[in-house]
Amino acid sequence: MNISDYLSALLLIAGGLFFLAGTLGLLRFPDIYTRLHALTKADNVGLGLMVAGLAIQADSWAVVGKLLLIWGLVLLAGASVAYLIANGALKRGIRLWRR
Amino acid sequence: MMNRNLIIPLLVRGLFLLFVWWSLSGGALSSWWIGGPAVVLALLVSMALLPPQHLNSYALLRFIPFFLIRSLLGGVDVAWRAFHPRLPINPLLISYRLTLPAGLPQVVMVNSVSLLPGTLSVAIDQQRLQVHVLNGGQDYLAGLQQLEQRVSRIFGESHQRSKAE
Repeated sequence: MNISDYLSALLLIAGGLFFLAGTLGLLRFPDIYTRLHALTKADNVGLGLMVAGLAIQADSWAVVGKLLLIWGLVLLAGASVAYLIANGALKRGIRLWRR
Repeated sequence: MMNRNLIIPLLVRGLFLLFVWWSLSGGALSSWWIGGPAVVLALLVSMALLPPQHLNSYALLRFIPFFLIRSLLGGVDVAWRAFHPRLPINPLLISYRLTLPAGLPQVVMVNSVSLLPGTLSVAIDQQRLQVHVLNGGQDYLAGLQQLEQRVSRIFGESHQRSKAE
């Protein structure tokens, strides 16, 4: 293994940890709004790190471009869907959890 | 001047779409028989659906690192809270008055809010944006104001108008 392999392994493991955090948040957070926080933000970073880790290993720039496009689209979709779900919940009168 | 206002967005979007096709097809030359017309059609559709507007490209470039760093912090913040045994959250629903105009500037704002630390857009009604704050103890207001200012610079609504306009 050379340096770039170690670097991409590190990025992939870190990305996996963020996905784990997102899922943990989904399970542990008390209501729909707080769960959305965990899913959108942690998974966005997790995917970003994984994309970075895979881009280092890519054999061509076209693959790097494709990975970046995937990340951008997931970012856009994640933020838009989070808004739609939160907005739907509010309109249905789902109260937020308060400490 | 009309031409110049149209040519630059056409060029930028066209190059982006060419890049998308090149990336999807892995640079296969024979694929451009389909890709060429597809790029032209996509360009026309994009001009029809989202007519070009004044963008401050310098502000847009500066927004990218700001957004990346802040959204990384957002992920770290929420991951730490999810892992913490005592679940250190104290949610709030707040109302934030936007000065950004309706349309694309507000869309960019609403989507960015959800990716930055501790805030999630829940509803927007004209100039009133309802934001769910994960931890009320944090200084969420300063973050929202900073974000709004950055977005408004992209769309050239602040005093920092670029001379190119």
